[in-house]
Amino acid sequence: MAAVIERKSGGSRSAFAKVVNDERNRSIFYQILVFGFIGWVIWYLFTNTSANLEARGMSSGFDFLGSTAGFSIAWSIIPYSPTDTYGYVYLVGIVNTLLVSLLAIALTTVLGFVIGVLRLSHNWLISTMAAWYVEIVRNTPLLLQILFWYLAVFSVLPRPKQSIDVAGLGIVQLNNRGLYFPEPQPGDLFWITMIAIVVAVVAVYFLAIWAKRRQLSTGERFPVFWTSLGILVGLPLVVYLLTGSPLTWSIPELKGFNFQGGTVLPPSFLALFIALVIYHASYIGENVRAGILSVSHGQTEASSSLGLKPGWTLRLIIIPQAMRAIMPPLISTWMTVVKNSSLAIAIGYPDLVSVYMQTSLNQSGHAIEIVAMVMLFYSTVSLTISGALNYYNERVQLKER
Amino acid sequence: MASVDSSSADVIVFSPKASKPPPATTVGVLGWFRENLFYSWFSTALTFASAYLIYITLAGLYQWGIADAVWDAESRRQCLDTSPHGACWAGIVTWFNAIIYGRFPDAEQWRINLGFIILFLWMAPLWFPRLKGKVGVGITLVLVYPFLAAYLFAGGERGWFMQFMVIFAITTFINTWLHIALSLITGRTLKEWIVGLTGFADKHERLHKYPNLGFTAIIFAIVFFILNDWSLLAVNTNLWGGLFLTLVIAGVAIVTALPGGIVLALGRRSHMPVVRISSIAFIELFRSVPLITVLFMAVTMMPLFLPPDVQLNKLVQVIIGVCLFAAAYMAEVVRGGLQAVPNGQYEAAKAMGLTYWKSMNLIILPQALKLMIPNIVGNFIGLLKDTTLVSIIGLYDMLGMLKATGQNPIWIGLHTEPLMFGAMVYFILCFAMSQYSQSLERKLKTTL
Repeated sequence: MAAVIERKSGGSRSAFAKVVNDERNRSIFYQILVFGFIGWVIWYLFTNTSANLEARGMSSGFDFLGSTAGFSIAWSIIPYSPTDTYGYVYLVGIVNTLLVSLLAIALTTVLGFVIGVLRLSHNWLISTMAAWYVEIVRNTPLLLQILFWYLAVFSVLPRPKQSIDVAGLGIVQLNNRGLYFPEPQPGDLFWITMIAIVVAVVAVYFLAIWAKRRQLSTGERFPVFWTSLGILVGLPLVVYLLTGSPLTWSIPELKGFNFQGGTVLPPSFLALFIALVIYHASYIGENVRAGILSVSHGQTEASSSLGLKPGWTLRLIIIPQAMRAIMPPLISTWMTVVKNSSLAIAIGYPDLVSVYMQTSLNQSGHAIEIVAMVMLFYSTVSLTISGALNYYNERVQLKER
Repeated sequence: MASVDSSSADVIVFSPKASKPPPATTVGVLGWFRENLFYSWFSTALTFASAYLIYITLAGLYQWGIADAVWDAESRRQCLDTSPHGACWAGIVTWFNAIIYGRFPDAEQWRINLGFIILFLWMAPLWFPRLKGKVGVGITLVLVYPFLAAYLFAGGERGWFMQFMVIFAITTFINTWLHIALSLITGRTLKEWIVGLTGFADKHERLHKYPNLGFTAIIFAIVFFILNDWSLLAVNTNLWGGLFLTLVIAGVAIVTALPGGIVLALGRRSHMPVVRISSIAFIELFRSVPLITVLFMAVTMMPLFLPPDVQLNKLVQVIIGVCLFAAAYMAEVVRGGLQAVPNGQYEAAKAMGLTYWKSMNLIILPQALKLMIPNIVGNFIGLLKDTTLVSIIGLYDMLGMLKATGQNPIWIGLHTEPLMFGAMVYFILCFAMSQYSQSLERKLKTTL
């Protein structure tokens, strides 16, 4: 009886409670709350910023991109002079960043695979050495390592007169101004060789498709690797020789106090490059090791009971399966390499952050635009890379039934 | 050979000969060497090559760092005159104090030591086995200790809030250690003692909190009377530096990254589109850019973002930047843990009628975080290493002080030794953390 009365008296409340307790209404309420909060934060930042900009008499907008930068950049692969614009400085920075990142990615991947395989070596000394390499490199900050290579190694190299002859042929010279090496100077007909290279690549691509199709239909394997190598090296070489070797080398020579001719990589580039390679190779090494260990031993046994030779087992059974586990962390390490190349600023290598976010920002004062542009570049790179990763994952994902 | 003699009724029992000992080359030290170092000619060659490599590296390091090293000198010049090819540790010895404490005034450095001693004493109970109330100790450590530490490090005038928090922190610290001492000696918790002493033991359990609150209030009052006029000299944050600053930045970032990361990860997995999209946007934005750009943004754009009357010093700006960055990375780690918890757990929690927050707190997060311990610690190690980046934007953390050593006129050019020393310190910190995480992992048996 009492319960009935209570329920009657609470009638209006329960209608309200019904609305409040409905999960959909609650969800809408919370979302409005979050949306309102974010909107308020953005509005607050925006009004403050515009008030501050006005108070300081600073202009905003991207007009500054067209004005002359007026400062010099220590080193760049695309030609740059102080009369160029801020927009061009942005490009110079991007190219410098991409150059060091791509070279570091290529070498760090190779070194990482070597480290990963050494970690799994049956030889106790080798695997222990590789393990200590990984531990030491991973447990010290990258910035410290970059500074070490720059300040303790490349800055204390001998002067140009006492250069270290790296290759022993007198054409690659290392000194405290950087690494000097010959620069190719293509002649008039060199474009034919370039076309030959493109043709060779396309031919190899179609050869690989044909060989795979033939194997699927007849079971016969075609020595794709050696044939491809032959085509890639042979065709351009023949064309190059037939067109009369239209390529000369400008070799660095010591004249006075410095080298003339050839091309040079500055110490800051070398330090950054080597530090990036050594640091990230330890991460890739661990990924490779984990990837290979993730392939169960039964796979090896099954393939040898099918009569495959050990080399084939590795190439056809272990590596394809291990790659599935190796690729995702490998690609995110590549992304980290691109991001960590921004530490160049500590040693004065003119990368994007250094020339644009520091020098250009300090000169022009367009903080918001410049920070946004730099972030846009890095976001684009990482979204592209992670898009490629997703595509790859979808293709190699184990199709479980 | 066992055989059966047919003429005899007795069956000759088969008795094998005693087995020969294994070849001397397959057991013991020799066997181990053969198996692991010299099992083929190629392996033998590799062993000798790498042994030689190790030998020349270690010998070179010994020659440079110990045999030829100079430990006592006035300047780098003197070092070079004494031993041109040896390490000049004299510079490190002279600068040691600066590398650890930065430019913190010598007379005030005891405050830093005291702050860290209190931190370790506060943390110590977390490692004691069979101690009740560890969660409470952990929570007060994160929520209350920072105020005490902030005052010890920064000093200066205390507002009423700071006054309250500092005294409350000391009270909590005293309470915690009374609790530990009583628990370890008698096996009863502090709460049980107080309840017993005040005669509340036979009263309803709901009333038990009052004597405890009273006890806390008494200690608070005592501490208040002792420390009311106590004040410390203000030390401006631009004097903070060295390993101390590194640990402060890393500590704040570690403490805020985990809750921030949990909130963002839950947001990312939320069913509410607005919450999910804004979490994803935040996480992806911070993860796709380098930390150095975030730090630059913090120091160049934060003054523009805030009203003119709000002035943040550089350290605060940097810490905000590092925390946002760390939270975004931690969010992805936590998300990995949330995804690794089997779906049945979510469904079971729902079927039990638990609300969202209860199911997360009691069922999902404990499992997810336990699974992710190695990754979380890995993240912390990454954070500690990343704090070195603050030296680029002009804070003198440990790396900044190490660089400053070689820029000082007396020790000019002394770069290798400070960097080697710094590498050792960072290595010890990070390696210890990773070993601890591995032992924790083994203890909790959470291999995926």
